[in-house]
Amino acid sequence: MTTTQQDLSWLDDVTMSDLERNPYPTYERLRREAPLAFVPVLGSYVASTAEVCREVATSPDFEAVITPAGGRTFGHPAIIGVNGDIHADLRGMVEPQLQPAEVDSWVDDLVRPIARRYVEQFEDRGRAELVAEFCEPVSVRSLGDLLGLQSVSSDKLREWFHKLSVSFTNAAVDENGEFTNPEGFTPGDEARAEIQEVVDPLIDRWTEHPENTAISHWLHDGMPPGKTRAREYIYPTIYVYLLGAMQEPGHGMASTLVGLFSRPEQLEEVVDDPSLLPRAISEGMRWTSPIWSATARISTKPVTIAGVDLPAGTPVILSYGSANHDTGKYDAPTEYDLHRPPLPHLAFGAGNHACAGIYYANQVMRIGLEELFEAIPNLERDTGEGVEFWGWGFRGPTSLHCTWEV
Amino acid sequence: MSAISVDGRRVECAEDQSMLEAFLRAGIWMPNSCNQGTCGTCKLQVVCGEVDHGDSPLETLTAEERAAGLALACQARPLAETEVALRGSEPGRTTHVLRDLTATVVGVEEIARDTRRILLGLEEPLAFSAGQYVELLVPGTTERRPYSLANTAEEDKVLELHVRRVPGGVASEWLFGPVAVGDRVEVRGPLGDFHAPDADEDQGEPMVLIGGGTGLAPLLGIARTALARHPERTVVLYHGVRVEADLYDTDRLEELAAGHPGFSFVTVLSREAVRGHRHGYAPDAFVEDIAGARGWSGWLCGPPPMVEAGVKAFKRRRMAPRLIHREKFTAADAPAP
Repeated sequence: MTTTQQDLSWLDDVTMSDLERNPYPTYERLRREAPLAFVPVLGSYVASTAEVCREVATSPDFEAVITPAGGRTFGHPAIIGVNGDIHADLRGMVEPQLQPAEVDSWVDDLVRPIARRYVEQFEDRGRAELVAEFCEPVSVRSLGDLLGLQSVSSDKLREWFHKLSVSFTNAAVDENGEFTNPEGFTPGDEARAEIQEVVDPLIDRWTEHPENTAISHWLHDGMPPGKTRAREYIYPTIYVYLLGAMQEPGHGMASTLVGLFSRPEQLEEVVDDPSLLPRAISEGMRWTSPIWSATARISTKPVTIAGVDLPAGTPVILSYGSANHDTGKYDAPTEYDLHRPPLPHLAFGAGNHACAGIYYANQVMRIGLEELFEAIPNLERDTGEGVEFWGWGFRGPTSLHCTWEV
Repeated sequence: MSAISVDGRRVECAEDQSMLEAFLRAGIWMPNSCNQGTCGTCKLQVVCGEVDHGDSPLETLTAEERAAGLALACQARPLAETEVALRGSEPGRTTHVLRDLTATVVGVEEIARDTRRILLGLEEPLAFSAGQYVELLVPGTTERRPYSLANTAEEDKVLELHVRRVPGGVASEWLFGPVAVGDRVEVRGPLGDFHAPDADEDQGEPMVLIGGGTGLAPLLGIARTALARHPERTVVLYHGVRVEADLYDTDRLEELAAGHPGFSFVTVLSREAVRGHRHGYAPDAFVEDIAGARGWSGWLCGPPPMVEAGVKAFKRRRMAPRLIHREKFTAADAPAP
């Protein structure tokens, strides 16, 4: 298969900070001109349309690979970058707690009191910055308690995911494929050292005395009596949780709120009828996908995708945030619209590496926003403050100032 | 006749019945409010079978929703054995059976400008919840008109309706014309989801009720029920009308206030300023009076703009939306189509 060769030299001028500030113009042009293209600053091929992302994510000719910056941040074997038996074992380790019926049995008791507690801290104040005061704390406290990290403060958990996140997405490389900004990994290294200092003693304890915490289950479940998984083996997956699973429900809630603020009549509909929240959240995840461009696949044999011949061993970054703005699939994709036809989106990925926490994350976001609107049905965006989105690998509003009458 | 089922309970649906009607007649609860296809409360999922959507408006039930197998229970009729599922509400609840009764007019009273109280005597009691409504068949026509009950559930032998004259309305021409004590009237009911909570779910929370014109009727039933259960609770009732001549039952409300220290009522006139009454709109008076309504429940019945303003006012005072109740039928009488 051949296509007309596009002149893609404009991609040479794309910088990491362009992408982090606003990746949409670059990816809109990529979708139009080259849905699979080599992007020099990323040192990698990039899939930008819904069709090509889905094709690569579900192709038998590709397997998972962690992005270079991601691998540098997490180490091996992280669940998102392994295949075969190790992947099967790690999925088998995390999935039992994340099955919908299992999640339903505890998620309300876990998340609702946490959401209430954070709302109570500001509900009578009449204003709040909801990213830092609500979305992120609800997300990290819920998952922290689930993992068994009750002793770690929400602020510390937020600091960890921020530091891991900037390292994970420190993707820029030079023409030789070397990281352009190696000091960008320092925050992630610092966070990992702190995490181990806190988690090592917990692992010691749970190895001897299993508890009903996720990490304790990861040590013991499916292992022969008297054996546990090695800590080095599960740490990379702990980092996957402490970054993505900590950060993204917060991003998802905040983006959904910003989307709803852009359509006041739809905000009012959702406030009046919270049963619309799952749909509102799904559209928020499509509109600004939290995992915007953070996962990748690698070809296992020579393959032709979107008219481009790729040799075996070629990594392709999946830009789900771009795929979810594909005009071939969505009318006016840049607009938040609660009532658009509820087509499936790629915010949680596809194939055998699709997010294992889809159900859990959706429940955290739903319960969080239910409690927010229950306590503050008159929530308004503070129009005196702007809303800025940031991020290429992970994306969401950096702050969200709100006001209401008290 | 086709059979329809929900949650494993199967009933026969007659040719001239909507699915909603067939379920309610069998005592199977199903969300419903306006029964005229406009509110969407009764939207349900057709699991298998086939339905005729009847007069379902496209605004309430879009083509996309029809394609996805949704239907309005109050408009749809089964064309074959059909199974449906409720969407996101508690399944299988039992409710007051929808019935057809013949009542006798036992009272016609002029209570305010263009406003009458109609009392209908029943031969046997009707089970309902305070706040629900009944439909009357206008004699000599096939038109039915909904009227809220002002009764408490205990007042089940004589139904009390408040009727406002609508020029040219078919029911108005009857109820402000030839109607007379002793007349026989066809009544269908009870209907609607605007009603006092069941006693075991009533926590005694503070309540605010706003009624516009004859929208006072169901609020009288609900407020009296609430006060009977929790005599000390806070209940604030706003009655909004245009002019003083539209007010009625103030003596009745004064009596209720005298016996219940937590109850107060406020009369609000939008078109004239008269000493002893507030001037303006009832939702605005509520916002001025009540600094915070977090944890309160709110009850709204009246013209749609007043109800919309009331919802906004309640949320502005931080009432949780799930505690806001509104009567959704458009009460105004209208000429026959």
